Amino acid sequence: MTDRFFSFSLSRRRLLTATSALAFAALVATAGVSPAHSADGGDITFLIDSLGDTWIPNNSAISSFQGHIWGHVTDKLLYVDADGKVSPWIAERWEQNDKATEFTLHLKSGVTFSDGTSLDASAVVANLDIWYAGRKKEGINPIGLFPKTYDHAEAVDATTVKVFFKKPTLGFIPTLGYHGSILISPKTLAQPATDQADLSKTFGSGPYVVDSWKEGDFVKLVKRKDYNWGPAAVGQTGPAHLDSITYKLVSEQSLRVASVQSGQADVAYNASPQELVSLQDEGFTIATPRYLGFVNGLAINTKLPPYDDVKVRQALQAGINRQEIIDTVYTPDWKLATSFIQSNVPGATDHSDLLAYNPEKSEKLLDEAGWVKGADGIRTKDGKELSLTLHSNPYLATSKSIDELISQQLGKIGWKVNIQAYDVVTYGEKVKYGGPAVPAYEVTRSFIDAGTVAGILTNANNGENWFALDERDQTINDLRDKIASAGSVEIRAPLLDELQKYVLEQGYFIPRTQIVQRIYAQSPKVTGVTYNGVAYASYYTATKSE
Amino acid sequence: MNSAYRTYAAKRLVQAVVVILLAYVFTFVVVSILPGDPITNVLRNPQNGFTEDQIREIIAAQGLDRPVLVQLWSSFSSFLVGDLGLSMRSHRPVATLIAEVLPSTLILAFAGLVVALLLAVVIAYGTRFLPKRFGQGLLRGFPSLFLSVPNFVIGLVLIHLFGFQLGVFRVIEPDSFWATLFAAIALGIPISAQIAEVLIANLDHEAGQEYAAVARSRGLGKARLFAKHLLKPSSLPVVTVIALTIGELLGGSLITETVFGRTGIGSLVQRSVSTQDLPVLQAVVSLAAVVFVVVNLIADLTYPLLDPRVKLLGTPERRPATADEGSSTISQAVTS
Repeated sequence: MTDRFFSFSLSRRRLLTATSALAFAALVATAGVSPAHSADGGDITFLIDSLGDTWIPNNSAISSFQGHIWGHVTDKLLYVDADGKVSPWIAERWEQNDKATEFTLHLKSGVTFSDGTSLDASAVVANLDIWYAGRKKEGINPIGLFPKTYDHAEAVDATTVKVFFKKPTLGFIPTLGYHGSILISPKTLAQPATDQADLSKTFGSGPYVVDSWKEGDFVKLVKRKDYNWGPAAVGQTGPAHLDSITYKLVSEQSLRVASVQSGQADVAYNASPQELVSLQDEGFTIATPRYLGFVNGLAINTKLPPYDDVKVRQALQAGINRQEIIDTVYTPDWKLATSFIQSNVPGATDHSDLLAYNPEKSEKLLDEAGWVKGADGIRTKDGKELSLTLHSNPYLATSKSIDELISQQLGKIGWKVNIQAYDVVTYGEKVKYGGPAVPAYEVTRSFIDAGTVAGILTNANNGENWFALDERDQTINDLRDKIASAGSVEIRAPLLDELQKYVLEQGYFIPRTQIVQRIYAQSPKVTGVTYNGVAYASYYTATKSE
Repeated sequence: MNSAYRTYAAKRLVQAVVVILLAYVFTFVVVSILPGDPITNVLRNPQNGFTEDQIREIIAAQGLDRPVLVQLWSSFSSFLVGDLGLSMRSHRPVATLIAEVLPSTLILAFAGLVVALLLAVVIAYGTRFLPKRFGQGLLRGFPSLFLSVPNFVIGLVLIHLFGFQLGVFRVIEPDSFWATLFAAIALGIPISAQIAEVLIANLDHEAGQEYAAVARSRGLGKARLFAKHLLKPSSLPVVTVIALTIGELLGGSLITETVFGRTGIGSLVQRSVSTQDLPVLQAVVSLAAVVFVVVNLIADLTYPLLDPRVKLLGTPERRPATADEGSSTISQAVTS
């Protein structure tokens, strides 16, 4: 019976032979697999820290991770470049009525989805409808940022779509170039949520198609050879150059960067700002494209004392040294805020003078407001300390470091700053605009059209009431109404300028820096990458040299 | 023996089913009392720009505003008929998600176990028969060393040495043969320590027995003595340890998978925990319960094969090994 179980026997000699054989095999393998140039020049590997949660197009289109894939698999009606300039794509031209309540889109003809369905007017109507309403019972959400004033759309003929709104909606046209507005085959849209969640069953009209994918692992895209309707703005309309793009999930940041450094991959997404300088020195391309949106900053709760006092808010505005944030936490790739919206947004105006660091002014304002510096350096009034709680934004990795720096800067003026860092779930539950214990809400938010800003800041039309002003500030409400009803960009521009000046002067919004939310560290072999208005890298125009 | 065995098996089966169902309910309760759920978390991401009214409407449409007990019953009743439901995060069937990742974890766990067993046997053999000048005593320190180095450290060292420095495997292709081998080594090293510890203790015990002295006096070689006479009686408690390490293989594979970038049960759990994806967590916990129950059952059924003295007679609930002579050594080794 013993023999049945252990018929082999070990001896020292045999063990030694086996060990040396193993060692030799390892050596051979090491030599055999040493770095060699691969012949497949047209393929790139993009290392990403997550591939998001779901692939249901409506639910995932805004999420920063899936957007990389959607950008290659799907097209949009319009193209918005890094400067917010809108140009034709699937829609060749468009018209609107004077009140901006009716829009007519003229589509390119001959465009098809990769399942063979043609991208015609009825397909566009199906997309507009699901963006606006979703199918909530099934778990398909509406696109949160799609204009809520949408009424309906009609297919006039195969290449003409007419879109109707309940109220003037100047923001509609730029929204069509936003990351949520991806065109999906009507056949896919008709599928139940479970099928839409399977990426291999989703078809777009983009320059790449999904070859294979595994959840939480990778997505491999291959070139669509008959693609011929790219956006003219990127200087190319035919098929892409690279044969394939593989998005591979590597959650360890250091592994992503090291893999690109060792030549095992071509692009590492979301490297830390601290690593960028050394990567640049080693010859890697670093891209820090800025998106169109709000700058990173604090929306102040004007209901919560002492921030109901304009002088305290203005003291806060002058008490932050923004240059020091860039010097300490970031690299020179980051830019100073010049308004509460990013400087590349059309309609953004330069208000740097209102954001200058001036601690003397800050101290003077606090003195005037009755906050007296105590022996410990902290100001008090009526027995209460001048305090500020900062809730570090869990969606921005550098947020806490900036909060710590601001805490030092404000500490010198007499503030007592508490920093509260929550995980994403707790943050979502506890930290809200105008919340009872939230004097300042840290904003990171993209948008494509500055016209939507005023609506978000106030409480009109389900606005988010960022400063908890409700209906108390007539000036901002008047500006909001005028901006919302503006029928042209020319009428709107001076109003937007006034809004920016007013919000900053009042200390409603305290900008920190312009935001870079997507950082790409890329092999120098890859060239010709374009970045769109929401800072996604597109490899449609890219090539790779050996 | 047969009727006793049947009663025993039936009892164990009922116990197993109860354990699995309790695990399912327990997971539900634990995850439910945490604030938030995957759907709300996505809706609350400020980038998405949903208003409070919209969020309320979507949550209601998904039935997430129903009382907790109603939600528990609806998920429990479909679990009873074998429906694992849909992932709240990805909206894909939970069964599909698990089927996608299970093979990778099984391969890693099995390879890790093989590495652990090989290492343990080699170390145990070395501690008995390696000449003193080649570090026989040093080998006895290996298990404590292996146990005290966390496997993510081993993993990172292996990745940097073999992945980046020597280029044996590509880090971004974690399912390749070499990458799997190194992941298995990282996973197997700490587990080999426990097995080796028990094996060494029992080898010491068995080597002192009279039959071993008799075998030696008959002129039996060291290797033959080890393989034919000492290894088998010493491996009885090792079976218990292996059954216990299954848990560690699952837990360790979570960490190893993350470090090596493998997509397995571990990474599925990690994603599901961070997004509170309840249906997936319930399914994985139930699966783990199934694995534990089955492995323990197999371990119990293996004893009679290794030791003819162990019989399933009148006292089936009692662990057969406790009747064994070497039990004190075993329990010491297991608890150490």
